[in-house]
Amino acid sequence: MSEIRITRRAALAGAGSAAMLALSSRLALAQEKRLRMFWWGSKERADRTYKANELYTARNASTKIDGETLGWTDYWPRVATQAAGRNLADVLQMDYRYIFEYARRGALMPLDQFMGKALDIADFGAPSIDCGKVDGKLYGINLGNNSVAMLTNVSAFEAAGLKAPKTGIDWKEFSALCGELTKAAKKDGFYGSMDAGGLEPNLETWLRQRGKGLYSDEGQVAFSADDMGEWFAMWDAMRKAKACVPADVQALDKQNIETNPLTLGKAAVAFAHSNQLVGYQAVNPNKLAIDMYPTIGAGGKPGQYLKPSMLFSIAANSKNAEEAAKIINFYVKDPEGVKAVGVERGVPASPAARNVVAADLDELGKAMVNYIGMISDKIGPLPAPPPKGAGEIAFLLKKTNEEVGFGKATAAEAGKKFHADALAIIARG
Amino acid sequence: MATAVGTAVPLERGVRRRLALGRNLPGYMFLAPWLAGFLLLTLGPTVVSLWLSFTNFDLIGDPRWVGAANYVRIATADEKFWTSMKVTFLYVVLAVPFKLTFALLVAMALNKGISGLTVYRAIFYLPSLLGASVAIAVLWRNLFAGDGLVNQLLFWAFGLKGPSWVSDPDYALYTLVILSIWQFGSPMIIFLAGLRQIPQDMYEAASLDGAGPTRQFFKITLPLLTPVVFFNAVVQTIEAFKAFTPAFIVSEGTGGPVDSTLFYTLYLYQEAFAFLRMGYASALAWILVVIIAFFTAFSFLTAKYWVHYDD
Repeated sequence: MSEIRITRRAALAGAGSAAMLALSSRLALAQEKRLRMFWWGSKERADRTYKANELYTARNASTKIDGETLGWTDYWPRVATQAAGRNLADVLQMDYRYIFEYARRGALMPLDQFMGKALDIADFGAPSIDCGKVDGKLYGINLGNNSVAMLTNVSAFEAAGLKAPKTGIDWKEFSALCGELTKAAKKDGFYGSMDAGGLEPNLETWLRQRGKGLYSDEGQVAFSADDMGEWFAMWDAMRKAKACVPADVQALDKQNIETNPLTLGKAAVAFAHSNQLVGYQAVNPNKLAIDMYPTIGAGGKPGQYLKPSMLFSIAANSKNAEEAAKIINFYVKDPEGVKAVGVERGVPASPAARNVVAADLDELGKAMVNYIGMISDKIGPLPAPPPKGAGEIAFLLKKTNEEVGFGKATAAEAGKKFHADALAIIARG
Repeated sequence: MATAVGTAVPLERGVRRRLALGRNLPGYMFLAPWLAGFLLLTLGPTVVSLWLSFTNFDLIGDPRWVGAANYVRIATADEKFWTSMKVTFLYVVLAVPFKLTFALLVAMALNKGISGLTVYRAIFYLPSLLGASVAIAVLWRNLFAGDGLVNQLLFWAFGLKGPSWVSDPDYALYTLVILSIWQFGSPMIIFLAGLRQIPQDMYEAASLDGAGPTRQFFKITLPLLTPVVFFNAVVQTIEAFKAFTPAFIVSEGTGGPVDSTLFYTLYLYQEAFAFLRMGYASALAWILVVIIAFFTAFSFLTAKYWVHYDD
């Protein structure tokens, strides 16, 4: 019996001291504001973000920012679970694809109350502000604009005595040129282009050039089975002509910079986003050129558009929302913050911030900013945000393109199946 | 007398109970971390997931009761469910027997009393420790890609030009089966322990009677090892049904190419976290629970026909 009493007393004492400890650390924390920030992206982005947070907290000593980062694929499951647990980071990076879902379900905080106060972003101009609005309220702050872009290993074309594809080339010319490169390069396992038949931004651009699109404003599928049949047939023809990499090489591409056929030295052209130029060039020994996607030739409509490459939002459950808004403002307006972030998240929407980054841009940064400037009169409007199920349809596109590539379906069959499956996914929601 | 008994017994029982609790309290306290973990992190979520499987739940909003609709859709209108079933069963049927056979062969080789046994045992166990990591995914891609080591060896030895095994829908699953076989460490260790239990004099007697190594294996080793085989088979089958990480890291969560590595658990994960259908994913999870329970029960029921215990 006496043994037990000692155990109990010891346990009580232990529990007591633990409570004291918890209490005292609480007291220490009471004076400071602790915020969490969560974003997806590369190491380059992480370095820049931590640097910006350091600069901010150096100036605001009572604020602490805990940064967390993950890759794109792992990021969204984590955000979903945190939203379910009402435990989202105070400042979190949002994508145009998801902001409607999270805002409409009350996971994000409307930011209109901070406009003109903590958030001084009026100079963004209406288009760059409105892309963060859901049902008339502001939920996301544009961190930079980007657009899709074709990245080309120019020296591979030049070494083969060919002229590299440039802005304005049409898909037919592009495919012929890539086929010629494969033939002329005569390197085993090296092809003109990657196979982009399974990439959603490529399909969207091509559909918009034909006057259609992926989804209508009402959130319905905006392409036909015939469109899709033609799309799959175009890439199938390129595979057969060896203008692009074969299906089993493309299947190794995990849709990130590191595993893209261009990076692996298996292709001379990659289809990507303009802000990724920095990331691609960092792992490519050859100099890369940045150009617009091929067009469908005469009579085609503009396929590309400018979009917020990403946005910062504030969680509805944030206890330091005003401080969070100040931090966001630091990223998009304050010269110190803007400089630290650079153009890695896209070209800043604020003209003042653009001037700040322009001052110390390297060659790559200049190429990217020039690209965004160059395309501005060749692009169409931002489409309505994609409906629920769009993410699943992007998976489906990759899979269906593989089915054609591996000879499991003809392009026409694949087009019909893809269209029907996409309708079913939208209907299911 | 009757009243005395009536009052005395409950009192005594109460005291005894209090005494027993007092005696066991330190035990419960030591158990508390695990018990709390089990109740809060395992049992709780399991019960909740059963409820969620009858709802429509997108993680962000509130769950909406839909009755058996999720189960009905799985049974009648879900093509991917059957694809993932096919992939998973093929994986279980191939990976488990090959892995166990390989583990037994290595265990028998190591049981020959060779010197440096512990070193070999550690080396052979190493792949299991590595588990399924990103490093393994990279290694597998470098081994089995079109210009990978396997194809280079094939070309060098036979002049053959192999396909890209890891990214071809006709072969991708088999590279994952090989990955599973390669991680044979834990069944091997258990087999090794089982082999040690077999009395050596049985083999001596059998040799005297003229039984060769093959006959000894089938008449002595295998029958006496059946309890260990049974244990390994049950554990490995459950593991194989639950396999997730190898496919997740090799296909980066897509189950590709062309859904050829869409394991059941991977499909479940996609539904839950990529497409935000937690209710539907919970229903899928409970179907997996039933399947695993069925196979485990089946193993135990048939065990009496082929598992030999000493006693």
